[in-house]
Amino acid sequence: MSPALLEIESLTKSFGGVHAVRECTFSVSEGQVIGLIGPNGAGKSTVVDLVSGFGQPDSGSIRFAGEQLVGKRPDVISRRGLIRTFQTPREWRNLTVMDNVLLARRRFASESLWRSMTRARRIRREEEKDRAEVRAILQRFQLAELKNELAVRLSGGQKRLLEFARIAAAEPRLVILDEPMGGVNPVLGARIGEAVQAFAQEGRTVIVVEHNLPFIEKTCDQVVVMDLGEVIAQGPFSGLRDNPRVVDAYLGMDQSRE
Amino acid sequence: MYWVSVITEAGIFAILALGLDMVWGWCGDFDLAFYGYLALGSYMTFVLAIGRPTPPVEYIIGWHLPVLVAIVLADVAVVALAAVIGAIALRNLRDIYFAVTTLGAVSALYLIVQTYTPLFDGFNGVYGLINPGQAALHLTYNGYRIVLLVVVLLILFLAYLLVQRLSRSPFGRMLRAVREDERAAAAYGRTVFSAKYRAYLFGAALAGLTGGLFAIFISAFNPSAWTPQELLVIYAAILVGGRGNPRGVIVGVFVVYTGFVELTRFLPSPASRPEFGPAMRQILIGLLIILMLRFRPEGIFRERPGVDREQAPGGRPGRLRARAAASAASAPAGPAASAPAGPAAKDGGTQ
Repeated sequence: MSPALLEIESLTKSFGGVHAVRECTFSVSEGQVIGLIGPNGAGKSTVVDLVSGFGQPDSGSIRFAGEQLVGKRPDVISRRGLIRTFQTPREWRNLTVMDNVLLARRRFASESLWRSMTRARRIRREEEKDRAEVRAILQRFQLAELKNELAVRLSGGQKRLLEFARIAAAEPRLVILDEPMGGVNPVLGARIGEAVQAFAQEGRTVIVVEHNLPFIEKTCDQVVVMDLGEVIAQGPFSGLRDNPRVVDAYLGMDQSRE
Repeated sequence: MYWVSVITEAGIFAILALGLDMVWGWCGDFDLAFYGYLALGSYMTFVLAIGRPTPPVEYIIGWHLPVLVAIVLADVAVVALAAVIGAIALRNLRDIYFAVTTLGAVSALYLIVQTYTPLFDGFNGVYGLINPGQAALHLTYNGYRIVLLVVVLLILFLAYLLVQRLSRSPFGRMLRAVREDERAAAAYGRTVFSAKYRAYLFGAALAGLTGGLFAIFISAFNPSAWTPQELLVIYAAILVGGRGNPRGVIVGVFVVYTGFVELTRFLPSPASRPEFGPAMRQILIGLLIILMLRFRPEGIFRERPGVDREQAPGGRPGRLRARAAASAASAPAGPAASAPAGPAAKDGGTQ
């Protein structure tokens, strides 16, 4: 077992009187694909926000590659190699598909105001390499034809693919996908599944928050189950059916709790 | 000479508009403090260049620096003020909250300047920068005004080249990403505040420069020369020309200033109602904004997204593009420039 890339310990967060996350503890090993599941309101999205810096926990610790993330801003965390998505795709609407993915390459040095003024030509030359790579990525996600379209004009499914193209371009160490299958048709769903597996093959660690259990079963090595802000189980998907708490909280909800 | 003066004024305000568009057009922040930066730049240029005050006139500093040095130092003061206002307003405030905060800041500045006479002599204001350098250059009054026009247009052109370069650079693209979706920009590692802050200070520096040029242009400056509302005309100009497109912004300023503000001066104004003309102008500008928003919200020139074209292998894109850019640069800013600049500008970042 490889060492844990992400270690979450006793994470707690409440909004007013609502305990969104309570004493949440789990860890993710490098290279794993982890499914984070649980009924609506279980606290999954809050955990994602806390880990990525978009919220601050009341208490607890989040370690990423040994480094404490609590108290850090989202942009700092992102630069450490952790990229998250949001439940609805957040493309930069009035930028082209190409620019959207180029921005995900994260060439921060060339975005300096001073360098942009004085080294414009050199920056553009360097960018040509990135453009070539981005074109290949767009090809991989069937977006090559649309590279000069504004992202706002893409269909919902294409926006999902753009999100994956951005992640591929960003080359993160850990990806957190917040409901990547929301509103996705079966054909596109298969493609997204392949994309997640491709990330894993490239050695990236992936956390998928998802309600689509067949998708989780197919793509994830392990599953973390949350309910009412707490982690109630962690392990391989196959073991969950025998766990009465999980069955009660989640798998059984199809009939009783929907 | 009337038109020389009108075009000079439009040229000066076009520089301000370029700076304001970086904040509003690129970053999406509706700032209302920019006219205050122009005013401070103007005041500071005066007090650094016109020498000691003679009582009962009073103002701070009272140095006798060469006017160009005064403009540069004044601009430093403007950026310092913008650094304070921007640090407060840009950190967490957005949209209307940001607008109100900057309006509050400029209103406070306005009241302080107006009522605290030791600063810039209150209501009377400062004066005395009458055609600096005219004697040294052996120019007639009219000759001087024409040289001033040429200098203003030259500075405008340089400012345009710089802003245009930034607009198409990774810096400009990053600012637009922040404008389009801050959370996504942060999720991809961008420090939203720092990005907006840098653009804000750059824009304010252009506004301060505008103030210095304005000081030379009108030779006197007092609170009646700048009310916070003046900025709305600049916003109208940016809206008409094309938000986020530097070329459009300049065209917009010339259209609104020469076309609207000046031409409406020729409207018949009944002797009994001297306020008719200015009131009509305000109404027409309001109408223009409404019509633009209804029929062409993106302006005359829309913000141009970067178009990716694949390079032939072994090509030397840098040099080719440099030549194309040079040919585009030699064309005058305005509609005529769009044709030669088209293919060159398309390759590369967002405009």
